[in-house]
Amino acid sequence: MPWLSTYTQSLTRTQAAHLLRRATFGPTAAQLRQFTGLKPAAAVALLLADQPTPTPPIDTTTGKTFVDLPFNNDLQTAHQTALKNWWLGLMINEGASVREKLTLFWQNHFVSTYATVSDARYLYRQLLLIRQYATGNFRQFVIDMTKDPAMLRYLNGNVNVANKPNENYGRELQELFTIGLGGQYTEDDVKAATRVLTGWADTGFRSTTSADITVAFRANQHDTGNKQFSAAYGNYVVKGRTGATAGDEELADMVDMILRQPETARFLIRKLYRFFVCTEITPAVESNVIEPLAKIYRDNKYELKPVLTTLFTSDHFYEESIRGAIIRSPLELLVGQFRFAGLKTPEHGTTAFNQLGDYLRGRAREQQMDVYEQPTVFGYPPYYDTGLDRIWISANTLALRSLFTDQFIRGQIRYNNVTYGLDSVEVVRALSNPGDPVQMMDELTDLVFAVPLSQSQKDFLIDQVLVPGLPRYEWPAEWNDYAQSPTNAKRMSVKIKLDNLFLFMYRMAEFQMS
Amino acid sequence: MTPVVLGGYSARAYGQTAFLDALASVADTNDRVLVLVQLNGGNDGLNTVIPLDQMSAYNNLRSNIAIKEDKVLRLTNTITTGLHPAMTGMRDLFNEGKMSIVHSVSYPSPSQSHFRASDIWFTAANSNQTLTTGWLGRYLDSEFPGYPDKYPSTAMPDPLAVQINYITSTSLLGPSQSMAIAIQNPDTFATLVGDKAAIDPGTTANTPAGRSIAFIRQQQVSSVQYAGQIKAAAGKGKNMATYPTSNSLADQLKIVARLIHGGLRTKVYYVSIGGFDTHATQTDATDTSIGAHANLLKMVSDGIRAFMTDLKMMGIDKRVAGMTFSEFGRRAGSNSARGTDHGVAAPVFVFAGEGIKTQFVGKNPSLTDLDGNSIKMQMDFRQVYSALLTDWLGETTATANSVLLRNFEPAPMFRQIVAANEDPLVTFGLYPNPAVDEVLMESELFGPGGLQSVQVVDMTGRPLSVPVERLQANTYRMSVRELPAGTYIVAVETGRRKLTNRLLVNR
Repeated sequence: MPWLSTYTQSLTRTQAAHLLRRATFGPTAAQLRQFTGLKPAAAVALLLADQPTPTPPIDTTTGKTFVDLPFNNDLQTAHQTALKNWWLGLMINEGASVREKLTLFWQNHFVSTYATVSDARYLYRQLLLIRQYATGNFRQFVIDMTKDPAMLRYLNGNVNVANKPNENYGRELQELFTIGLGGQYTEDDVKAATRVLTGWADTGFRSTTSADITVAFRANQHDTGNKQFSAAYGNYVVKGRTGATAGDEELADMVDMILRQPETARFLIRKLYRFFVCTEITPAVESNVIEPLAKIYRDNKYELKPVLTTLFTSDHFYEESIRGAIIRSPLELLVGQFRFAGLKTPEHGTTAFNQLGDYLRGRAREQQMDVYEQPTVFGYPPYYDTGLDRIWISANTLALRSLFTDQFIRGQIRYNNVTYGLDSVEVVRALSNPGDPVQMMDELTDLVFAVPLSQSQKDFLIDQVLVPGLPRYEWPAEWNDYAQSPTNAKRMSVKIKLDNLFLFMYRMAEFQMS
Repeated sequence: MTPVVLGGYSARAYGQTAFLDALASVADTNDRVLVLVQLNGGNDGLNTVIPLDQMSAYNNLRSNIAIKEDKVLRLTNTITTGLHPAMTGMRDLFNEGKMSIVHSVSYPSPSQSHFRASDIWFTAANSNQTLTTGWLGRYLDSEFPGYPDKYPSTAMPDPLAVQINYITSTSLLGPSQSMAIAIQNPDTFATLVGDKAAIDPGTTANTPAGRSIAFIRQQQVSSVQYAGQIKAAAGKGKNMATYPTSNSLADQLKIVARLIHGGLRTKVYYVSIGGFDTHATQTDATDTSIGAHANLLKMVSDGIRAFMTDLKMMGIDKRVAGMTFSEFGRRAGSNSARGTDHGVAAPVFVFAGEGIKTQFVGKNPSLTDLDGNSIKMQMDFRQVYSALLTDWLGETTATANSVLLRNFEPAPMFRQIVAANEDPLVTFGLYPNPAVDEVLMESELFGPGGLQSVQVVDMTGRPLSVPVERLQANTYRMSVRELPAGTYIVAVETGRRKLTNRLLVNR
């Protein structure tokens, strides 16, 4: 099997949809048209192109940004909401770019949460950092994240001082952020890393007088002794240093030590693979995909773009067995439906923008993916825990997923007199021959589902759902009648039939696959 | 019977008690229920159960978060062990004889990773082993084989396990899928999942996508099948006690009580509360008896207390036992941020409406004999599981062994223990003592029938196996070559009585 060799055929619509479902929160109809027919290399170059920094979040209550102001106790809930909704809005409105999907990946990798950090300005800074490095260099990313004010708060790096170590960050840096448990590092390595990291602290936390948020290294709080690491790191010693630059120097020394271990690159590549390609890693995938990609990552000094380019243009990525192999996350479901329907959010900063954001975050939360509020530092359980993406699915969450899709199709999501829903008639009208029930169903199911349906399933959808109890020729009769003289009444009669079809399709197990 | 614990030295009695006999006879049809209470994040055991006999070491290790001695809640029958001041509810349960404290629970080569340690507790794996099924999943699979295909059935029309959440725990993973139904709100569950599944079954390929699709379909079918039963039980069950408000654990337990009262035959319920990863500010700066950890313990204690009161008022408390657990304890020494880092052993609470016989299993952890800065293990968590499976749920030892993948001697909270110096007259000859390789046991009391059993336990109450042979009518020889040096209790049973003595092994 060719694995990572480059796939050079032009993308079919099905393949373009696959690429966009994985690399972004899902395609709009226009993006799908744009990507169909492109060579994979050209398509991936578009997806990886650098994006401009978005304008900061706006607090709806004041109509202004708040990230450059002192902390405001009275408005902290509003600011928290504004930040989370801002991010959700970027996911919905973004063009065909991997950035927002990678931002989510990295935020779930370097977890901090509002519930713990409780200063939205801090998390805004962290999100900017994540965006800056989303497709960039991991070495500098992990160094900067170690000193990030929100992270210093979330994992107590700010209270880790000489002789009074706090191991929280020193442990998670290794277990979760870099080498993983497979790195065989020891409890003594946790202690040694903790000593390397002593002395960093943030200033400006929830300050109501100053807008400045800074990070300082306090040399007098730093453990200046040598730090001996175990055989997992080749018995490397991070030499103890003194003075103002000691913290940065030792941190860089230690990060380089960790990144030299092949297991670090493997750990990161496995996580990316599970997020973007397939949660199952077979021994063949381990040796033919993970290992060579990890090598590419190391050889490129932990630059991510060469890795993603190889992965997204590989034969393996376009194999049929990979298509539809991942269960959609709640955000992929929610944001993906907005994009599928070609919807944008209301104008950023308006009341309707916030209302819609609150609604969608509420749905994401009940489906177990609360935005910027992972339950633990491990991130959302489906990305690490036994069962992986199947953890998203239970009797409850399935029902709640259907609750959302029902509301979306029935036009029940309305803010400021605008309905945010799926116009089923428009989706079908855009197909090549909507009046032919067989051709229409072939094209529609190809558009809606990541996996192909069987002929009997498609027949069932036509005969039992679209026109139940009627002969098939009733569909072209109804549709063509509407298409030739589109009155509201005729539109309504086809819309009822198509809405029923969508309600049913969105409750099928296949719909949960991405 | 009054539980007997003296100086923490305890040995487990082995004979069949009336209690065990009664249990054995109903093993196949018992209506007992098990409730798991997960404290997510690693609970600080040393500020939960406080060693009043070592307050100076305790204060030295954690001066910035130590609970003041005069604030520690006292328990009856002991002056050496107390509870966190927020735990009045569990103190009352303990004093009523309905709760057991199992000291210093962990496992060999403990992990201090949340993820890994949780998985070990969920799956009952060894530290170096990974398993893809949960211990409760395996228990339910042995009790109800063929799930999900053969269920609901006439004999078992209800969910095998219910978790009050949106998702189910790894503990409940069976061979093919979770053995539990996750319910957030029993009143709306039926409406939410719909009355019937309108799914075209189709066929699924043996690919990652195909297998997940089959899994999702099964979830759809299961939830719909059980919706009616849950709705009926929720309608029939009525809470009778007052539960604390703003207490997420109490909210969950309240639903559990209602479902049990409403007649669900579900065997296992699972509830959880998070926030125990207290690396910083676990106590208030000036008053260490309040703060984040105190609030969590109060929720746990008040919640469980209200739950047991409710069950009692419903008249069904004798059917219900529960245990709390957390993936690990925290360090004995605090950090400078008024927090504690990841540690090892911690106490487990087991509560039951009836059947608690031993209220302290093990003794207070020694604060002068730490492993690094962590509390050493006295009891393997699988011994607690083993006790719940056999002594509570009535499973056979063979079933418990297969669920836990090897034999774990049950922790003795449901059995009467014998104290070392319970009755100095009822003893027997044991020499040489101290012993090196062999000891002889002698007594006129052994009688013509000889000994029914011989048991050796170490000072933490852990039973050890040793070879014994009968030399003469009243003389037995026991090999102690395989025992590490230390102090042991030897307990023997004749046809009529139990005899104990203390043995020193010296090398």
